[in-house]
Amino acid sequence: MALLDVNGLRTHYQRMPAKNPVGAPPLAVCVHGLGYDSLASFYLTLAAPLAEAGIDVLTYDLRAHGRTERPATGYTLKDFVSDLAALLDGLGVDQPVHLVGNSFGGTIAFSFAAAHPHRVRSIVSIEAEPATEPWADKMGRTLTNVVDEMGKEENLRWLAETFGNHHAKLARAAHGIIRSTSIVEEVPAGPLLTALDLQGIRCPVLSIVGSEGFQQDDLTAVQDALPNCRTVVIEGQNHSVLVERHRTVRELVLDWVAEHDGERRAA
Amino acid sequence: MTTTTVLDELRSMLVRVLDQYGLDDVEITRETSFHDDLGLESIDLVTLGSLLVEHYGEHVNLAAHLAELDIDRVIALTVGDLADFVIARVA
Repeated sequence: MALLDVNGLRTHYQRMPAKNPVGAPPLAVCVHGLGYDSLASFYLTLAAPLAEAGIDVLTYDLRAHGRTERPATGYTLKDFVSDLAALLDGLGVDQPVHLVGNSFGGTIAFSFAAAHPHRVRSIVSIEAEPATEPWADKMGRTLTNVVDEMGKEENLRWLAETFGNHHAKLARAAHGIIRSTSIVEEVPAGPLLTALDLQGIRCPVLSIVGSEGFQQDDLTAVQDALPNCRTVVIEGQNHSVLVERHRTVRELVLDWVAEHDGERRAA
Repeated sequence: MTTTTVLDELRSMLVRVLDQYGLDDVEITRETSFHDDLGLESIDLVTLGSLLVEHYGEHVNLAAHLAELDIDRVIALTVGDLADFVIARVA
């Protein structure tokens, strides 16, 4: 298991080197979501096909998730952005990267791009949005709901009976993180991005959303807030775009990286 | 390489993965499923993927194999499925 000390936390990461790279291959850094997520969501879906297509892939477990250490506090977006910067520094990555963020991982990607614009070649945001006030409201409500509902045995039984043991187990794991850390209080607190901050994210952004996902009320909200964003809507899909529609996401990401790294090479 | 050999090797890898949960005496057969029977999480498949590469080499790429499956198939994966995959790759 590959581990690196990142801001004092033992952090689990996985690299998949590009197969048959032409010159210096692009690097895609995959950032997973909150709660029941881990780097496995990328490792089991996108990582190998991207590497096969000539892209270096790096993915890691966020603090408190997967095999990375779980401190009791330290869950502001500033902490998550700082972890990503420290991970890239620790691994000697100095090229601009393609950030592929799922759910909260995409939120981290936007905040990272605002703080370190020269380190980001592009962003692929999967069912994600930047840390704005509406995002903080929604996130606060969602996390509070998880605290209230997911710890109840009757709800876990309902999940198991309705969707299978797998979902009940994921809910239990998410509740475990929430119960043992300050994540519920800290995550919605930001720091939040202003409209001006969002206009400063000038790298190309691909926003992939499910028509029934977290942004179903306004599918192009992310595109409308950013200067250089394109939206792809996956019809009939809920929030689980990455896992349930991984072949579609794979094609979109491969085309996206080819399009944007082609630009860089020609420049 | 025989199926029995591969199953024995997979068993010893799974014991290493399960050891972190304090489970070291679980019966593991071809029909044992990773999720329902062993209670493994998806992150454990990442660990298992690394052990497979360590033991058999880069061509036994579990991540590439699982990326071709739907989530339901991944959740239902059994030790026998994994053994068949390994045998096909090392043959």
